[in-house]
Amino acid sequence: MTKGPLDGLFTEFTEAPLTEAPFTEARRQLTICNACRYCEGYCAVFPALERLSELTSGDVTHLADLCHDCRDCYTACMYAPPHEFAVNVPAALSAVRRHTYDEYLPRLPWAAGPVKRRAAMFTAGLGAILLLALLGVLAGGARAGMQGAGVPGAGAGSPYLVIAYPALLAAVGLPALWSVLVMAGSAARYWRATGGHGLTSPRALLSALRQAASLRNLRGAGAGCSYPGDEPSAARRRLHGLVAWGFACCAGSTVAAAISQDIAGDPPPYPVLSAPVLLGVIGGAGMVIGCGGLLLLRRAAGTADAGTADAGTAGAGSADAASGPPREDAALARRGYALLAGLLLLAVTGLLTLVCRDTPAFGLILAVHLAVVVACFAIAPYTKFMHVIYRFLALVHDSAAVAGNAARESGKSAGGGPRKRA
Amino acid sequence: MSDQVPWDVVVIGGGNAGLVAAITATERVSRVLLLERAPAALRGGNTRHTRNVRCVHDTGDAYTPGTYSHAELWNDLCAVGDGPSSEELASLTVRESASVPAWMSAHGIRWQPPLTGTLHLGRTNRFFLGGGKALINAYYRTARKTGLTVWYDSTVEDIGVSGDRCTGVVVCRGQATGPAAGRTLIKARAVVCASGGFEANHDWLRRYWGDAADNFLIRGPATNDGRVLAALYERGAAKAGQERGFHSVAIDARAPRFDGGIATRLDSIPFSVVVNASGERFYDEGEDLWPKRYAIWGRNIAGQPGQIAYSIWDSAVNRLFLPPMYSPATAGDVAGVARALGLAPDAVTATVAGYNKAVAAAGFGSARFNPARFDPSRLDGCATVGLVPPKSNWARPIDTPPFYGIAMRPGITFTFMGVQVTREARVRTSDGGAFANLFAAGEIMSGNVLSSGYLGGFGMTIGTVWGRLAGASAAAAASAAREAS
Repeated sequence: MTKGPLDGLFTEFTEAPLTEAPFTEARRQLTICNACRYCEGYCAVFPALERLSELTSGDVTHLADLCHDCRDCYTACMYAPPHEFAVNVPAALSAVRRHTYDEYLPRLPWAAGPVKRRAAMFTAGLGAILLLALLGVLAGGARAGMQGAGVPGAGAGSPYLVIAYPALLAAVGLPALWSVLVMAGSAARYWRATGGHGLTSPRALLSALRQAASLRNLRGAGAGCSYPGDEPSAARRRLHGLVAWGFACCAGSTVAAAISQDIAGDPPPYPVLSAPVLLGVIGGAGMVIGCGGLLLLRRAAGTADAGTADAGTAGAGSADAASGPPREDAALARRGYALLAGLLLLAVTGLLTLVCRDTPAFGLILAVHLAVVVACFAIAPYTKFMHVIYRFLALVHDSAAVAGNAARESGKSAGGGPRKRA
Repeated sequence: MSDQVPWDVVVIGGGNAGLVAAITATERVSRVLLLERAPAALRGGNTRHTRNVRCVHDTGDAYTPGTYSHAELWNDLCAVGDGPSSEELASLTVRESASVPAWMSAHGIRWQPPLTGTLHLGRTNRFFLGGGKALINAYYRTARKTGLTVWYDSTVEDIGVSGDRCTGVVVCRGQATGPAAGRTLIKARAVVCASGGFEANHDWLRRYWGDAADNFLIRGPATNDGRVLAALYERGAAKAGQERGFHSVAIDARAPRFDGGIATRLDSIPFSVVVNASGERFYDEGEDLWPKRYAIWGRNIAGQPGQIAYSIWDSAVNRLFLPPMYSPATAGDVAGVARALGLAPDAVTATVAGYNKAVAAAGFGSARFNPARFDPSRLDGCATVGLVPPKSNWARPIDTPPFYGIAMRPGITFTFMGVQVTREARVRTSDGGAFANLFAAGEIMSGNVLSSGYLGGFGMTIGTVWGRLAGASAAAAASAAREAS
């Protein structure tokens, strides 16, 4: 294994996972998949599996993060429970994902052994909020804030009436910096463990970006996702798109505000018809609708997984009402709820801040929103938010492998590889 | 109970043929009932394990590039086994196949393009996205929209017949069967039997195969026991097809007795030598392209002592075929592999040595001296010289350790022997007539078309063509009966 640029920061990485169980089970199932291959049209996971000559833990991790959990392979699988082969790839890969989300957190230089994810998350979140409160108090109230910020023009509705600009910068910036460091460490460890390549290939990056932006792997080759039940639907991809693009708009809103203030010298608050407000409103609304919708779908998926369908009678499609074993690791499902709830809270408090900026409640709401922001920033690397990073890296890796394979294929005569089954 | 009101059409069997018949019928009459023996989670019978359908197409498209003419499919069908059983019905099947893909698309089926490497099937066969269970799910969704009623866990135990008319079916609902289980007589104006073959009934197979049948593994569900077929024979239906006719392939001997499906199939044969329990070769492993020969190997192995055979290969070809689901036995020499498989090491070593000598005897034309000639994608002519039986293509020395081996058994996909039908899918009687309102589609009547050999993807063609015919005929019979009453 080659040394990466971030290696010095973190203690030695060991390949052996904490427990083998999720890998053993995933490998067992994927061996059946590789001998069947019926699902290769649905997403990137199965063609990637077919290119591998053996399945190391790193390979299984890569496939697990390449999986977007559309569940089309589950509903299409004749080996799904109650069949004795008990193939349930979405569940098996989600168990691997949960494992790796914990495993790839960077080791802390001052503590031996793996990071206790939950403890670290609470510490970081609480620390960030305390830091915010401390800086808010230290920096004093509204007048001090305005003077400290050097923005004499800050009128009603300006955040600097609540917390001084430098204090705000520090309160948000420090957790964000922490987050970026931990995420980079996780990403580096993940990248090495999965044998990733392609980060320097513009083509692979572009292809990964395109797939991420369009959520291509939730398309099911046009069929949609078998989520929450067995009925294929585009709902999940659309809602997920709203969340992702909404999040991007909110980030864009912040950048636009920074440009307005620090480059154009125009302090907040901004008028309704300005880039920061418009982007924030559109993004916030997208996140609220997207997260709300996904939460409802997730609840339906949970009910479906609990197996309530009366299979014996009823209409032609009654199996479509979904029954059978859970299709997602239970702990990961909880983290899915938590991520959606967190993002929803972020968006709702953000929108409320805007709506209430001319009312007496502004100070309180802004304080709540800021607390949510700093807490989310600080805990992100310990949550399912990391799926954004890992999945993007998996897409880059896969795009590079696809390109490499195509180059090899064109270099030799047709045929040779395993043929498709009759 | 509503069973006093007769159903217009009752379809027995919830696989491809039954669903196509039921959907076709619901488009014509209102009250259609489908009886599926399996619970919902396992619905679809053998269709769950299918992947593609073979149809005539005069123009290519994204899913089946190139053309596949009526004449070519007909010739392919004539080239397997003893050729078609009934020229009339086989020719009807081939002709009707041309409209099958469009019909399937219109009823919810999605396709996937042939990927790289599908040199032999991509042109002739269309692959449905996600395979057979995805197809089944799509058809059940379509059927729900057209108002079909489905009863799962419902076993048909008998067919009611009065003269040349079918009056209904005796169905046992719930998972319990046997004398204690509750039976209901379901009245029907027309009945379609699409309940598959009898391959999962080892006692029935034993009548034609003797004790060898005990060593047959069944690739589909255990519910394909031929109960409806037996009832049809009892009610005077005429037999079609050969008693020993079936589609069977070589599968891993460790596969489960039932329902192992595609993942247990082995594609190592053309890259290997195949020996029997005595360690001797018995059939040309390189006779023709694998998609044209895979379907004879179940029968080949069924004819060997103990119904078992062993495929042995080396690391030079190990990545050239689909990886088996169960790990092969492996060792540093051939004797070690033989030992791991429970074979006599000396016999197998001698067989492989003799084979390697016969490869070398081909001289400069052989894969040994001219590795570039070895080409699994075509008949490469790399043959053994002076070996009986020969290996006519892809013969290359087995000499690169480690060596691999897997024990194989016949994996029976479906039996061909069924009931005779007319061009309208009406079930014929043994006295030369035909039932007025009793129809058959799919594997239960495949013996009208197939004799002993099989053509990949053609089972789905038979099911779809005859499902449509049977569904339309049954709906017409039901309408006529409704008007008469």
